[in-house]
Amino acid sequence: MKLLKFELLKLRKKSRGWLGPILVFVLIMTAFPLTVEILNKDIDQSFLSVLWIATLLVMMLATEDIFLEDFNDGTLEQMAIKHNSLSGVITIKIFVYWLLIGLPISLLGALYGFGITSSADLAIQLIPILMITTYIFLNVFSFGNALSLTKGSILGILITMPLVLPLLVVLGKVVIAINLGMNFLGFLFLLLGILSIIILVLPIIISFVIKAHLE
Amino acid sequence: MIKKFIHQFASPKTYLFQVDRAYPYIFYTSLSIYLGALFWGLFLTSEDFVQGNSYRIIYLHVPASFISQSLYLAMAFASAIFLIWKVKLSAYLVRSIAPIGAVTTFIALVSGAIWGIPTWGTWWAWDARIISTLILFIMYLGLISLHDSFTDNEKADKFLAILVIVGSVNIPIIKMSVEWWSTLHQTASITVTEKPAIDPSMLYPLFGSIIGFTGIVVCLVILSSKLQILKREKNKSWVKDYV
Amino acid sequence: MFNFKFNSILDAIFMQSSNGQYHGLYVWSVVLIVLLSIAITFLVYKVQIKNIGKKIK
Repeated sequence: MKLLKFELLKLRKKSRGWLGPILVFVLIMTAFPLTVEILNKDIDQSFLSVLWIATLLVMMLATEDIFLEDFNDGTLEQMAIKHNSLSGVITIKIFVYWLLIGLPISLLGALYGFGITSSADLAIQLIPILMITTYIFLNVFSFGNALSLTKGSILGILITMPLVLPLLVVLGKVVIAINLGMNFLGFLFLLLGILSIIILVLPIIISFVIKAHLE
Repeated sequence: MIKKFIHQFASPKTYLFQVDRAYPYIFYTSLSIYLGALFWGLFLTSEDFVQGNSYRIIYLHVPASFISQSLYLAMAFASAIFLIWKVKLSAYLVRSIAPIGAVTTFIALVSGAIWGIPTWGTWWAWDARIISTLILFIMYLGLISLHDSFTDNEKADKFLAILVIVGSVNIPIIKMSVEWWSTLHQTASITVTEKPAIDPSMLYPLFGSIIGFTGIVVCLVILSSKLQILKREKNKSWVKDYV
Repeated sequence: MFNFKFNSILDAIFMQSSNGQYHGLYVWSVVLIVLLSIAITFLVYKVQIKNIGKKIK
């Protein structure tokens, strides 16, 4: 609990860390309707794709230095030594990032969904999907960041990008499900299942990687 | 005791000597099987009822895609051995299989694309199996660049092994993608449990080309691992005698 | 001896199928690309091994 408050405080202080990605998301989602004709009927279809891509990009930005600062000033080493399970620390860190970046983006995305398609159904359905998707992206991109901790962050994140592409394929199916109004709950549970596996497994892998870096 | 056995067996020096002895046999046998099967498939089998003569690309495309997935599984297996038992030779093998995997996946993608022109009317389609194979290709390239971006070889090996294992989630997606989603790709004609859905006269050259291609890829992996071992162990004394 | 399905070399190059299309271009370009890539990979590795052998000496 104390650790949670500590991490929360750290991230809130670094306003560039959480405000930046949210503002980029707002920028992308606002610019999108400007580039499309006003009375375009296909805007419903393409809106969801732009939403997923914007989420992907913003989560990538958000994890740019999730471990870098702590690594550079030695906090990461202290955490690795002091706590029994580094993976617990990492889980909390990623959770904090999700609270401050992923959650607002999910709500904003749903808001944009309502604004563009004027269907409250869609907006309500989008909220849980976005919450789960942002959390999954966050986990995978943190893994990428941890891999290239000493070299500079972009390479690691780019390398783990192929891992999230299958998730995008699933999201594409979700688009169809939403549009046809069928089997939405099935997809939701599928995403929840993927999320639960990832939440358990990835912090362990990330802690392994970080410990290898610290040697 | 198992640890001692593995450590004895897995010295790069013994590996190189044994592999050098076996290489000519593997190379010439597999090359003849592969070219023989190709000759059979290209000239001696009758044309397909639906696809006409362009189905003959199957003898080039199927071995390549099968091998590209199997190579990734081999890498995952070797990575696991490296992480559990710290056998250095395993790490060398993982790094040396990666470029060969990239080449085979490239062959699979290109042959599939050209095959699509007469059969599907398009050389590219965003369906699940094609996307996943493209992802596999990008992953191979990413693995190579990740390993080469580190100057500390021990760390590089470890991270490579971890990334390989995490990325192996893509392989079931490729294999099952034709069954989970409805795609342009046809479902598997050869499975372990059922009778083949393909005519026997076309089946035998297919088996031949798969076996021959596997042998050729094994030779490529041998060459690649030789290069890797020479690079990494060049300060050892036995290397000077070897070259 | 061999039961060739094509009646002449020209037939084998063009590979006309029963729906009238000429499939030879596709099949032979794939054959060329595959065999070339395998051959180039072999050559590249052999050259690299020779170079590193020279460097070690």
